[in-house]
Amino acid sequence: MSALKVKVTAVEEVAEHIKHFSLAALDGKPLPYFSGGSHVVVSMDINGRTHRNAYSLMGPTSDNSQYQIAVRKQEKSRGGSVFMHENVTPGTELEISMPTNLFAIHRLAKKHILVAGGIGITPFLSQITDLNRIGHDYELHYAYRSAEHAAFREQIEALCGDKAFFYPENETGRLNITELLSKQPLGSHVYVCGPDPMVNGLELIAKQLGWPSTAVHSEKFLAPASGEPFTVSLLQSNTEVVIPGDLSMLEAMEEAGVDAPFLCRGGACGRCEVEVVECDGELVHHDDYLSDAERVAANKILPCVSRANCSRMVINL
Amino acid sequence: MERGYSIKTKPIYGTLVWQENATHHFLVVAGEGGKALLKLFQQMVPKQATTIFYLAEDDASKKYADTVQKMTGETITICDSLESLLDSVKTALENCYMGTQFYVAGEEGLIWPVAKTLSEFGVDDRNVFKEQTGSLARRVFCVHCETINENVHHDIHQCGTCGLNLIVRDHFSRHWGAYMGFMVDGETPGEIPAAQEVYP
Repeated sequence: MSALKVKVTAVEEVAEHIKHFSLAALDGKPLPYFSGGSHVVVSMDINGRTHRNAYSLMGPTSDNSQYQIAVRKQEKSRGGSVFMHENVTPGTELEISMPTNLFAIHRLAKKHILVAGGIGITPFLSQITDLNRIGHDYELHYAYRSAEHAAFREQIEALCGDKAFFYPENETGRLNITELLSKQPLGSHVYVCGPDPMVNGLELIAKQLGWPSTAVHSEKFLAPASGEPFTVSLLQSNTEVVIPGDLSMLEAMEEAGVDAPFLCRGGACGRCEVEVVECDGELVHHDDYLSDAERVAANKILPCVSRANCSRMVINL
Repeated sequence: MERGYSIKTKPIYGTLVWQENATHHFLVVAGEGGKALLKLFQQMVPKQATTIFYLAEDDASKKYADTVQKMTGETITICDSLESLLDSVKTALENCYMGTQFYVAGEEGLIWPVAKTLSEFGVDDRNVFKEQTGSLARRVFCVHCETINENVHHDIHQCGTCGLNLIVRDHFSRHWGAYMGFMVDGETPGEIPAAQEVYP
């Protein structure tokens, strides 16, 4: 994977547990341009282990002098977000992947409905700059717990004007998704990024209301689930890797020096998909990529988030 | 034709079945497509509101509309030309919301102009249920004079506008809602294979 070397130029706490980082290229040159909704994967060296987390680029998309990301400190962190909060300061050098977009706006849509929950606001900040530029009709609905969690609210008000709607849960209650999706004009597309229950809830409601799945877009950055350790035997590499309980298959393989493919590291893109040749137990899928039929067939796995209850697995890698 | 070979762009039409996850059903049928409409209502009269447009170019092809109307009491708007049908459809679409499910049944000459109108309103062709009824005749786009030839039964077809003899490729353009027709004797003028009726 081609990587970009960057230096942190500014860190700002923008809301409770949310820090905003500005990154510039180490060599001072412009960074690659990116489209709204893109993310980068940040590599962190945590106690000798390389830890990689995906973060959305907040834009504006017209600015290639710096990248903006925001990180929420996760209570049940596997180390990445805590590292970003506690160890990364102006001047810190980091390695990031090239921007990748798995959450782009649909250009043929007549109207875009953006729904953000908490830190899920980040991909929309760059999407909005794209939407403003091309002049498409949109609405942004931003739900958060309370005023002190409302990261980037002023910036959003300035960018979106009357197209932005805010839902502090402690004042207005939960955003009513059924109401939101009930009277939208033909040709609308909805985009959601936020906590799992919000994303899953919106997808379900949209389906029940008859929204075609092609008009519903979501982004979740899943943290790999922990589980029991097991051994993976790599057919092509002719090696064996022990997967500890607290590392994903992908992370453990990388640590063992295996050059495994990956892109989103969140179970969304399918780039890391690998064939399971043999498994003496049960595959435990956590991704959003494989179809139900593929899960039943039990011969593929996304090692970035999924694992197995088994003692030994053989994969074609 | 080569065994095991198929063209991905060629539309595969289905049988209309209610999509129960919907807030509104919007149906457009023509002629024999009325039979598909009738079969649909024989499956079930849906809970949700329906909007039905029926293109009947003569009284005989209205028979299915009358049966559906008697059977269900649903209101059916009957139009006597494709043009007036598309105008009525456009007006009705102004008041439709996401969650509306679209159904079209008829010949290709109905299906694709309706699909085009829907796409102007942002409805993706993949989400429009289509049943082909009546003739299998194709719509053919002449790539030379850029006009559509309706009801083409033959391959080699003489373009009704520019008169060129066209070989009709199986490639289907969603944009034009038609198969592509190319001059067959471009390399060897005058050498025109015999036309065959392949889409009766």
